[in-house]
Amino acid sequence: MTNANESPLISVRNLEKHFGDMKVLKGITVDINKGDVVCVIGPSGSGKSTFLRCLNRLDEPTGGEIIFDGVNILDPATDIDLHRQKMGMVFQQFNLFPHMSIMKNLTIAPMTLQKKSKEEAEGYAYELLERVGLKNRALDYPLQLSGGQQQRIAIVRALCMKPEVMLFDEPTSALDPEMVGEVLEVMKELADEHMTMVVVTHEMGFAREVASRVMFLDGGDFLEENEPKEFFANPQNDRLKEFLGKVL
Amino acid sequence: MFEQYISIFQQEFINNFIKEDRWRYLTNGLLVTLKLTFFAVLLGLVIGFTIAIIRNVHDNTGKLGFLNFLCNLYLTVIRGTPVVVQLMIIYFVIFGSVRIDKALTAILAFGINSGAYQAEIFRAGIQSIPRGQMEAGRSLGFSYFQTMTKIIMPQALKNVIPTLLNEVITLLKETSVAGYIALEDLTKGGDIIRSRTYSAFMPLIAVALIYLIMVLILERIVKLIERRLSKNDKR
Ligand SMILES: Nc1ncnc2c1ncn2[C@@H]1O[C@H](COP(=O)(O)OP(=O)(O)OP(=O)(O)O)[C@@H](O)[C@H]1O
Ligand SMILES: [Mg+2]
Repeated sequence: MTNANESPLISVRNLEKHFGDMKVLKGITVDINKGDVVCVIGPSGSGKSTFLRCLNRLDEPTGGEIIFDGVNILDPATDIDLHRQKMGMVFQQFNLFPHMSIMKNLTIAPMTLQKKSKEEAEGYAYELLERVGLKNRALDYPLQLSGGQQQRIAIVRALCMKPEVMLFDEPTSALDPEMVGEVLEVMKELADEHMTMVVVTHEMGFAREVASRVMFLDGGDFLEENEPKEFFANPQNDRLKEFLGKVL
Repeated sequence: MFEQYISIFQQEFINNFIKEDRWRYLTNGLLVTLKLTFFAVLLGLVIGFTIAIIRNVHDNTGKLGFLNFLCNLYLTVIRGTPVVVQLMIIYFVIFGSVRIDKALTAILAFGINSGAYQAEIFRAGIQSIPRGQMEAGRSLGFSYFQTMTKIIMPQALKNVIPTLLNEVITLLKETSVAGYIALEDLTKGGDIIRSRTYSAFMPLIAVALIYLIMVLILERIVKLIERRLSKNDKR
């Protein structure tokens, strides 16, 4: 999937994030290529969410560069709102807008930010809804849906902007166990369509099966990365071995 | 015996309200009270909303430090002093040498006062919306301002409507001190009747009853709206 001739979609250089005195990210350098499905794993509090949220500047990095589409998005002169339109994000808590119908949730951003017509935005939303099996819920409100359904809608909401990359922060961690599968299934389909994805997850099965690369974050940096088979079968780093010993 | 009371009552009633069209003090006063309350609430709404936004921007981005300081100063002073003192300062000190309409002064004073309380109501409303809503909005590419107006505010406003209406009720009663600057509101109207007829009971009880009825009606509206909101709340 990685095309050596193409420059990376996201190129992270010496990314640092401090919260006061606490250094959470200590100079991370990593490339994310088009079509990559990167799974980020690591112990709780190691900074996985912080890393992901720095990629679209929901958390403001304290140092380094993030080159996305050839632009350093950490440059104060870049219009981050414009770049965020190309980076979909899915949260642990879904964060659908409870005062809007599902359809409104899906169309408000494309209509407002991309000036899509109502017909066009709704047409595309229906198409995606159909694919996640929720077409009949378009006129319902978010809190009438189950957690798994809400998270699938949240994924569709991000997709409606036709993003170049999707960022997932533990998308199944807030779900009842019986609903995890339906969300992972949608993510797997996305990966099959070569969507570029960065997924923070505790679902080792998903990482093993779907990821093109798995990366282990601990102590403020990625300590190991590999394609999933090797990563899980043959870990090198001691901290990773210990971590896998606990979670597998 | 009983009939005697009735006839005294009748005489009192006629003397206090009918004679010389004294009831007009009450109706005119009531209109003044309603006008004061209405415009003061509107002014307070504008002030309160603006302050809540400024403080929220400051809390989230660290910008607008000086404006935020001014807002905090305003909130501290207004909420730390009695409204009647504020009213008199505005009338006798600030506009002391200028001839300005009393009603306008009172609207300014009560509006400025109510703004401080409404600011806190709006702020609480905004803060009651989970962080994730702002983050979801921003992650889609909405600006801070767009997220505020399209996502946060509609939810926050809905949450604060009942509290805001309670502020209207409070303000309605608080305008009763308008007489301190010789404005003839409902309370002052009753008091004028009392000073003409030398009987306190009837006019003051009538004034109290009118306030009570208005408050009860407003409370009823709050209840209806609360029920309506929770029914439409498809959560
Ligand atoms: N806004 C903040 N202010 C201060 N410290 C923070 C803030 N956000 C995160 N942290 C700290 O940064 C560290 C990394 O947090 P982060 O949420 O990125 O970890 P994580 O790897 O996602 O953990 P989890 O698996 O529990 O989600 C933690 O120690 C956390 O307490
Ligand atoms: Mg996290």
